[in-house]
Amino acid sequence: MSLLEAKNIKKVYKTRFGGASVEALKNVSFTVEKGEYVAIMGESGSGKTTLLNILAALDKATEGTVILDGMDLTKVKDKDVAKFRRDNLGYVFQDFNLLDTFTLEDNIYLPLVLAGKKHAEMKERLDKLAPSLGITDLLKKYPYEVSGGQKQRAAVARALITNPRIILADEPTGALDSKSSDELLSLFKKVNQMGQTILMVTHSTKAASNASRVLFIKDGVIFHQIYKGESTDRQMYQKISDTLTLLAQGGDK
Amino acid sequence: MKAGFYPKMAIGGMRKNGRLYVPYMITCILMVAMFYILHFLGFSGVMRGMAGGGTATDMVALGSYIMAIFATIFLFYTQSTLVKGRKKEFGLYSILGMNKRNIGKIIFWETAITGIVSIVVGLLTGIGLSKLAELGFTKLIAVPTRYEFSVSGSSVVTTLILFTVIFFFIYLNTIRQVRFANPIQLINAGKAGEKPPKANWVVGILGLVILGAGYVLALKIEQPLSALLWFFVAVILIIIGTYLCLVAGSVILCKLLQKNKNFYYKTNHFVSVSSMAYRMKRNGASLASICILITMILVTLSSTTSLYTGAEQCLNAHYPNEIGAFACKYGYDDNLPSQGERLDEILIATSEENGATVTNNCTYFVYSISGYFENDRLEVNLNSLTNMAFIDYDKVAQIQFIDDDDYNRTFGHSVKVNPGEAILGTAKKIDIGNEVTIGEVTFKITERFDDKVSEIDSTAGAASPTIYMIVDDVDAVAQKYIQYEDYNGEPMLAWFWYCRFDTGLDVDGQIKLAETLSEKIKEELQGKGFSNYYCESHEAERGDFISTFGGLFFLGILLSIIFLVSCVVIIYYKQISEGFEDQARFGIMQKVGMNGDEIKKSVNSQMLTVFMIPVIFACVHLVVVLPIVNKLLMLFGLFNFGLLLICAGVCVLVCGLFYALIYKVTSNAYYKIVS
Repeated sequence: MSLLEAKNIKKVYKTRFGGASVEALKNVSFTVEKGEYVAIMGESGSGKTTLLNILAALDKATEGTVILDGMDLTKVKDKDVAKFRRDNLGYVFQDFNLLDTFTLEDNIYLPLVLAGKKHAEMKERLDKLAPSLGITDLLKKYPYEVSGGQKQRAAVARALITNPRIILADEPTGALDSKSSDELLSLFKKVNQMGQTILMVTHSTKAASNASRVLFIKDGVIFHQIYKGESTDRQMYQKISDTLTLLAQGGDK
Repeated sequence: MKAGFYPKMAIGGMRKNGRLYVPYMITCILMVAMFYILHFLGFSGVMRGMAGGGTATDMVALGSYIMAIFATIFLFYTQSTLVKGRKKEFGLYSILGMNKRNIGKIIFWETAITGIVSIVVGLLTGIGLSKLAELGFTKLIAVPTRYEFSVSGSSVVTTLILFTVIFFFIYLNTIRQVRFANPIQLINAGKAGEKPPKANWVVGILGLVILGAGYVLALKIEQPLSALLWFFVAVILIIIGTYLCLVAGSVILCKLLQKNKNFYYKTNHFVSVSSMAYRMKRNGASLASICILITMILVTLSSTTSLYTGAEQCLNAHYPNEIGAFACKYGYDDNLPSQGERLDEILIATSEENGATVTNNCTYFVYSISGYFENDRLEVNLNSLTNMAFIDYDKVAQIQFIDDDDYNRTFGHSVKVNPGEAILGTAKKIDIGNEVTIGEVTFKITERFDDKVSEIDSTAGAASPTIYMIVDDVDAVAQKYIQYEDYNGEPMLAWFWYCRFDTGLDVDGQIKLAETLSEKIKEELQGKGFSNYYCESHEAERGDFISTFGGLFFLGILLSIIFLVSCVVIIYYKQISEGFEDQARFGIMQKVGMNGDEIKKSVNSQMLTVFMIPVIFACVHLVVVLPIVNKLLMLFGLFNFGLLLICAGVCVLVCGLFYALIYKVTSNAYYKIVS
C-alpha cells in the first residue's frame, strides 16, 4: 500500500462575491510510496503550493481524498487537524518560518512541546539529530544571528524531530544562495537514504534532479512524471530540462 | 502641487490609521473637555458667592493645574506611540520622492486637524457636560444649586490657548522624530528592537533595592508633619523602582523560568514565557505606567472617598460639643484664672438668656510652652536651638500644663499629684522616661494617662506632638517659664482657655448663639492683650468640612476618570501593536501544528499574566502606602483606619472590575488582528 495517496483532487477558489471561480487544481491523482523522494515541479501559478497545502491539511480540497498511511485526511475533524499535522507531517518552508522569540533549539522543540513531550526526551532526540544537520553549535543562537542556510537546517530539524511519516517541503531552496542550496539538497538526500519519505515542491531543476521521481503539474493537472531510476543527477537534470522545455512550448507529451 | 494636496494626504493617512487615530482623538477630546470643566468650576466664578463654595473651588482650581500638566505629558506620550506606528509610511513617502519639507507639511496638517477637531469637539463636550459636573459638584459640597446654564468665556480662551500650545509642541516633537531619520531607518522602524533582551541583573537588583527603599521609607513614617516631605520621596522612589523592576526584573524572571526546563517546556508555558521575555523589555515601561496610573487611581479614590464619608466623624472630632470657645494670651498673668472663670460665667449666662440649656460643660485652661523635645528634655531656650545643625521637626513638641484640680473637676477624675511630680499623657508615640525636664525644671512622672488624652482633645494625634502634664499647682509651674522669649521677643509661655458645651438648641439657634457669644467674648477681652479668641458652633463648621471634603472627593473622581482613560489608551495601543507583531508568529505556530484553541489558550495565559502584573504591583503599592495615607488623613482630622481600609477595598474592587472589562474589550481587538 502507498504511504500517501491523492485521489481526484480538485480545488476551486471563488472570488469574494461569488462571481468568477478559479480552478487551481482540476483533477490531481498520484501516490507516494514509503521511502520515496518525490519532487513536484511546475511554474508559478500552476497549483503546486495549493496541492502541498492540501496534502498538509492546511487547506481543504473542494473534491477528492488524501489518504496518508490509511487515514483519510479529508475526514480528520477540524480540532484534530493540528494534532494530526504535528504527529504525522514535517513541514519545511521557503521562508523558514522560525519564531524570532525562540532560540534555534526552542524552535526545534516547538512541535514536541506542543505534543506534551518531556524535556529529557526532546533533548535526546535533538542530540541524535543535530550532528547530522551540522547545527550542534548553533542551538543557543537566535534566528536573526545565523545565516539563511543555517536557519533552513534548523527548520529541517524541526520537521524531522517528530519522526514524521512524510516531510513536505515548499520551495526549501527558494530563499538560499547556491552553496546553501547544495548543502540542503545533499541533506535531503541523506535523510531520504535513512528511510524518510520526502515530498518537495520546487521550480528549481537542480533541486528536482535530486529526487527519485519528478511530477510535473500544469494548469491544475499532473501533466507528466519521470523516474530517476539508475540515472545520475546530471542525466536527471537533462531529462527534467527537456520536459520543462516541452511544457513551456505547450506541446503534447 | 495642487492646492489642498497636503490636507488631503493628511486626512487620508489619518483615515487609514483609524485604529490608532480614533482612540487618540477621543483622548484629546476628553482631556480638553475635562480641563474646561475643571477650569470652569475653579475659576469662572459660578461657584463664588456660595456659602462654603470657596475652599472646594480652590481645590478644583488646583485640579485644573494638575490636569494641564497631566494632559501635556500624556498627549506627548500617545503622540509618540502614534508616530512610531507611522514611520514606515513616512519612509515610503520619502522613497517615493517627498522631501522632509513635504512630509513636515503632512505632519503639520495632521496635527492641525487633530488639534482643531479635538479642541472644538472637546470644548463643546466640556460646555455640554459642565452643567452636569456643576450639579454633581454642588450636590457633593452641599451648597444650593443654580438652574441657569452658563458658558465661561475666560475658561474657553484658557483651554484654547493651553491646548493650542500643547499641539504646537507635539507638532515640533513629531517633526524632530521624523527629521532625524533616513528613509531606510523609517521603513525599518517597525522591525527595530528585534533582539531578544538580555537579563540585566544590575538594573533589576537596583530596581528592587530602590523599590524596597521606597517601601521601607513609606512604612517608617511616623509623624504626618514630616511625612509630607518623605511621602513624596517615597512616592518617587516607588515610581522609579517600579519602572526598573518591570523593565529589567521581569526579563530576569522570565529568563529564570526559561532555565527551569521542566517548567518551560510545557505547552502552556513555552510560547507565553518566551514571548513575554521577548517583549517585556519594550513593554516594561508601559506596564509600569499602567501600574503607576492604577496606583494613583486607587490612592486618590480611596483617600478622598474615606474623607468624604468620614466628614461627619472628622467634624465631631474637631467640635465635640455644639458650642466651643477659645482664648489665648501669651505670658503669665495672676488674673488669668479668674478671667477664665469670668468668661465661663458670661458664656453660660448669655446662652441661658438665649434659651439654651447648658449641658456637658467642659471648661479648663492650660499653660503651654513649645520647644525641642529630645532625650526626655524639652529645650525651650531658642538660642541653644539656633546653633543646632539639623532640626528634626518631628521633635518639636508642645507641652501643656494643666492643674490637677482643674483636670479632676472638668473631666470627672480623681488624680492626686505632689509638687515636683506630674502625670503625663500624649497621643503620639514618643519615648518618654520616668523623669522629664522642661526647660530647667525636672518632673518625676508618676503615671501616664495616654488613653485619656482624647478626653481633652480628640484631635491630639493630628499635627505636631502635644504632651499633656497634670501638675499640682499650674500657676507655680508657669511662673518658672516667664523669662523665655521667642525670636520676636514675645513670651514663649501661653495661656490657653477652652470652653465647650451643648445647648439643646436647633441648628439655626446654635449658629446664632455662637455669633452672639463671639460678640460677648470680644466685648470682654478686647484691649486686654489677648492674641486670639473666638466662639464656634459645630453646625456652622459643618458646611466648611463638607465643602472641603466634597471638593476633594469631586476632584478625586474627575482625576480618576482621566487616569483611567489614559490607562485604557495605553493598554489599547499595547494590544494593537502586539497584535500586529504576533500575527505572523501565530501563523507559523499554526503551520507547525498548533490549533486554534491552543493558540487562544496561550494568548490568554500570556495576556492575563501581563495584565495582572500591573494590578498586583498596584495593590502592593496601595497596601504599603495606605498607612501614610492614613497619617495624612489625620492631618484633616480623620482618625479611622477601618474606614480607609473599607474604602480602599471597594476602590480595588471597582477598579478591578473595570480593568477586567478593559481587558476583555482590548483582547478582543487583539484576537481580531491575530486570527
